[in-house]
Amino acid sequence: MKSLKLAARAKARKTVVQIGDVGIGSNLAVIAGPCSVESEEQTIEPARAVKSAGADMLRGGAFKPRTSPYSFQGLGIGGLRILDKARQETGLPIVTEVIDPRDVSWVAEFADVLQIGTRNMQNFSLLKEVGRAGRPVLLKRGMYSTLEEWLNCAEYVLSEGNPNVILCERGIRTFETYTRNTLDLSAVPAIRELTHLPIIIDPTHSTGRPSLIEPMSLAAVAAGADGIIVEVHWRPEEALCDADQALTPAAFAGMMKRLRPLRTFMDQQPA
Amino acid sequence: MKLEEIRQKIDKIDRELLVLLQERMGLALRSRKFKRAVSDPTREEEVLSRIERLNLDLIERSFTRRLIRTIIEESKRLQEENRPLVAFQGEHGAYGEVASRRLIPNGAYIPCLEFIDVFRGVEENHFDLGVVPVENSLEGAVTQVNDLLTTTDLKVIGEAKVTVKHCLLSTEDTDHREIRLVYSHPQALAQCRGFLMRNKLEARPFYDTAGAAKMLARENPRAAAAIASELCAELYDLEIIKEGIEDGPANNTRFLLLSRQPYANGGEKTSVIFATPHEAGRLFAVLRLFAEANINLTRIASMPLRSDPENYCFFLDFEGSEQDEKIAGVLQQMEKLTISLKRLGSYPAASGIY
Repeated sequence: MKSLKLAARAKARKTVVQIGDVGIGSNLAVIAGPCSVESEEQTIEPARAVKSAGADMLRGGAFKPRTSPYSFQGLGIGGLRILDKARQETGLPIVTEVIDPRDVSWVAEFADVLQIGTRNMQNFSLLKEVGRAGRPVLLKRGMYSTLEEWLNCAEYVLSEGNPNVILCERGIRTFETYTRNTLDLSAVPAIRELTHLPIIIDPTHSTGRPSLIEPMSLAAVAAGADGIIVEVHWRPEEALCDADQALTPAAFAGMMKRLRPLRTFMDQQPA
Repeated sequence: MKLEEIRQKIDKIDRELLVLLQERMGLALRSRKFKRAVSDPTREEEVLSRIERLNLDLIERSFTRRLIRTIIEESKRLQEENRPLVAFQGEHGAYGEVASRRLIPNGAYIPCLEFIDVFRGVEENHFDLGVVPVENSLEGAVTQVNDLLTTTDLKVIGEAKVTVKHCLLSTEDTDHREIRLVYSHPQALAQCRGFLMRNKLEARPFYDTAGAAKMLARENPRAAAAIASELCAELYDLEIIKEGIEDGPANNTRFLLLSRQPYANGGEKTSVIFATPHEAGRLFAVLRLFAEANINLTRIASMPLRSDPENYCFFLDFEGSEQDEKIAGVLQQMEKLTISLKRLGSYPAASGIY
């Protein structure tokens, strides 16, 4: 992997991406919230719920990449304003996806972290644009991508002068159909060997099944992941996007009771 | 033209009609100050017959008469309400109107072109009250207003502090990705320079923040947005793309409420303007009175005297009312130490920043 001048493990200490009080790469970072921002009520209530259950940051999509052009495309700027309000109410920093290079500067006005989704992992003009936007970038792994391709995409962002890249494993396509994708948990320790960048996992999109979210999140923490990004919907069955795969606030709170103690336990074990 | 475009044009015309109607109602309220009674049948007939002379093929004369009659009835109803007429400088939606609404919640807010129009209008009883900015936390004194305060007979009867929260506004059918030009007052544009640069937007100076919002709503120029108050979004039916886009810390402006009559119930704050002879220690002697009486000063500012450029006058705001014995005493002693002392009045202190 000689092309990784900046992302490679070689020289550097582990990168810690600091967002307000949250240090991704030092403490376990939990990012939670709805898939898409649908209304103020549907965003602010769950934001309060995930905050009280111990989440560090709020996720929520205003610009949505959808498989079908006829699916709900997101509220756009209106959605960003709702996220802004949720941040004011809860103090949680905002992670939100950007899908169009023309939107990058605008999304950066509202968001604390810019997310690049799995479908846009190799959208190089978008990567360059977020590299210049002055905000940390959460880079999801492409669903058909190798680790090397993924790290080269991180290199795009780093080479624009933005050192704050968070990698996110979100499942890859395999022949298995029971789960939506297959969570490649081996990516977590493998990425540790290859780069200094922090890595988190997305147990929602990788499994597509709420019942698998907690076991996979615990497994990720045991494997050394720096955090998780998880969908929590106020009323999962009514969601306009990815219905039925989000956790309820209560299930999220239950999971959090086990997640942080596990991390503490892992930290106490001799290396 | 497609149906969608036709409908957009219709919506725009509806907006314009309402903005114009609002302006007409304001003028009707102002006319009340000159009339003995609300109703004036001769004038009404004159208005109706003049409008009927217009020959418009799509608008029936009977319809015109009905429409104008309805408007006249509504303006008469408004005149009967006897709302206080509160004058401010700028277009509807200006920060002066934001302050006016806070100070007099049930008023009729009348825009004026210049600060002097606010002062003269209240002095001549064309308006009941006036609201003017005296100082801004970033820019300092509003010299034009301070200058007018030195010559007016009006009394200060209240104050309000308004946070200047700039919003990027656009019409509903403008996509944020299309915006290239941003219209606003040069000061607002300067305060939002970082935001404009980050989003590669070109600043276009305009005479007034609210005027820019009004222009946007009425003309809907391509690829354009405006920087103005949140109130402007409400008044001109504009979308807020982002609020609080100023670069620096939030700044606020302090407004004074002006009236011909002094505030009747004492108040907690007092404003005076004075000038001292050009001799050593005179200003100190005045300030010592306040120190010795243990009166807290909240503002002190100096301004060259227009009438006598070598000399200065001083603006002093302090806690307490002219009706307090202690303060009355200090003011009495002050008369002896100064060549002029103008009492602007005592009034309730602003309770917070809006």
